[in-house]
Amino acid sequence: MVRIEVDELTKEYGETVALDDVSFTIEDGEFVVVLGVSGSGKSTLLRCLSGLTEPTAGEILVDGTPVHGPRKEVAMIFQQHNIIDDMSAYGNALSGSITRYGFLKSFLRVQDTAEKQQALEALKTVDLLDEAQQKARRMSGGQQQRVGIARALVQQPDVLLADEPVSSLDPGSAQQVMRYLQTAAEDRNLTALSSLHQVNLARKFGERFIGLRDGKKVFDGYRDELTIDVVDDIYGDIETEGMFVGTTADEQATSLDEEVAP
Amino acid sequence: MTDDTDSESDTLQADGGTATQTPPETPDDEQSPDKEVAGALEKIRRARKRRALGWLATIGVVGFLFVQAIFAVRLPDENYQIDFFIDSLGDFFPTTDYFGVVPFIDFGEYLDYILENNLIFDSDKFFELFGDPMAFFFDGLGMFDMFGQAGITLAMGLAGTIMGFPLALTFGTLGSERVTPFPFNFLFRGTMSAIRSIPAIIWLLILIPFAGLGPASATFAIAVDTVGNLGRLFVDELEEIEEGPIEAMDMAGANYPQRVFFGMISQVRTSFIAWTLYILEINVRIAVTLGAFGAGGLGEVVDVERGLFNFDHVMATLICIFVLVISVEIFSQRLRSRLRSDEQKMGLWELITGFPDRMSESLLK
Repeated sequence: MVRIEVDELTKEYGETVALDDVSFTIEDGEFVVVLGVSGSGKSTLLRCLSGLTEPTAGEILVDGTPVHGPRKEVAMIFQQHNIIDDMSAYGNALSGSITRYGFLKSFLRVQDTAEKQQALEALKTVDLLDEAQQKARRMSGGQQQRVGIARALVQQPDVLLADEPVSSLDPGSAQQVMRYLQTAAEDRNLTALSSLHQVNLARKFGERFIGLRDGKKVFDGYRDELTIDVVDDIYGDIETEGMFVGTTADEQATSLDEEVAP
Repeated sequence: MTDDTDSESDTLQADGGTATQTPPETPDDEQSPDKEVAGALEKIRRARKRRALGWLATIGVVGFLFVQAIFAVRLPDENYQIDFFIDSLGDFFPTTDYFGVVPFIDFGEYLDYILENNLIFDSDKFFELFGDPMAFFFDGLGMFDMFGQAGITLAMGLAGTIMGFPLALTFGTLGSERVTPFPFNFLFRGTMSAIRSIPAIIWLLILIPFAGLGPASATFAIAVDTVGNLGRLFVDELEEIEEGPIEAMDMAGANYPQRVFFGMISQVRTSFIAWTLYILEINVRIAVTLGAFGAGGLGEVVDVERGLFNFDHVMATLICIFVLVISVEIFSQRLRSRLRSDEQKMGLWELITGFPDRMSESLLK
């Protein structure tokens, strides 16, 4: 049972308040999408949850214990994927197991056979088994992000965090990556939290949504509660009608997405 | 501003109503220039003037320094002997009459000297090694002797680079602020600076009591020099790495050495190999210089023949040096571009058999 409890979380960078008194609880196995415009505090929230950034005030509990620094049961998928360009997809996936081995074993790649099989299984989950030996540098953006997911899965986490995992991808690959993320979280019963700025993608893949605006939590609810007024509130006074056409947007996006099997 | 700009801005306006600017010195009756646009143009003009003045000042300062420097080295009032210089240059080029009439440089003489003195090929060693596989791999170690004096020079550069590499890697990595916290990284950077402040030739002289004056000392001198130079390049390269992959390794729970290797060094692995090849090129050239100080190889041949006033032999040796250095550079540059390219790598067989095609293709371009 892995719950995430965020209690009165505040993060200030000098004068700037990136997160302002944010509190919520995520139950085991939930898939939560954090919505908001650039600079609304999405990334800061995820960085605090991952332990890469220490909050100014407030507390985060994962599985009942407070977060101070990265933890092996919390894995992260980054906006710029942050995989190692010069390594193969397999090498990158295997590097997720780094914490279970010493330097020499991970350097020489003499991990247990079971570990290597697990890395390949993670690549199979994201449909990259055939590309396992390919250098990450030679892969497309979508493939690189899928390698990032595989690496996170090899870490055997309980919590999966994803900071804008698809913002640098084209609509087709973005959907594909989100689908892999969703499948992986479901299959392994992970508690997942992903930030997104595309509302249509968020609606398609999220169960629960947390809306941030200027560092404050302005929405916390499930799909049926995410109405156009709520989206207006999260995104401020920009034109949201085009972004929010419900099923039509989904269909359009699906037609763009050729590679994903239904 | 010319008419070109005018017509261009007109098109822009027709396309999407982009604000057009008319140069103030050619006022157009139909479109009076926007005040803001004119102001912006004036600002750009003033900035350009300031930059031009800045450049003029820079050129002035550099020119002043240059004049001071050439007087310091007595360049203007040296007693030059241009005729004597041209005369002595002639000694480098033995001439012969082709077909009894056409005077031309006697390349045959160069070739004879090169072959006689085993400058780039030692046939005895060649037959000794290839006549007997045991000799090639076990008994007759020192395959480089096959390439005569050039082989010795090449071996000095290669062995020196390989010996210096591990220490350069260690010092370069530990000298980076990203790896070792601030005051302590200067321990390693300082050591490398100290090594660099002493040229390879001086290292050779320092090492003579240790290994005598010969290729062994030269190899050690090159190795020491490599630690200073290659290590410095590694430090610089490590300053450029991205924070992302390091954070990713932190999230995966890497310990300190894993963080350094997977998060940092793996980002620059290709560049490290490329820099090492570049230093290999430089080290082969240094090996020639060290040879001229008596450490053996082609450099020593140059020095000896110069002492004997056999300038045609000096020239023959210089040709060999040219061939050696160019070969190493071509090899290293091909390898580097292969490493850096994002394309699928060619197999060795394709690399060799496809060469004529690629060569003719690039010549026709």
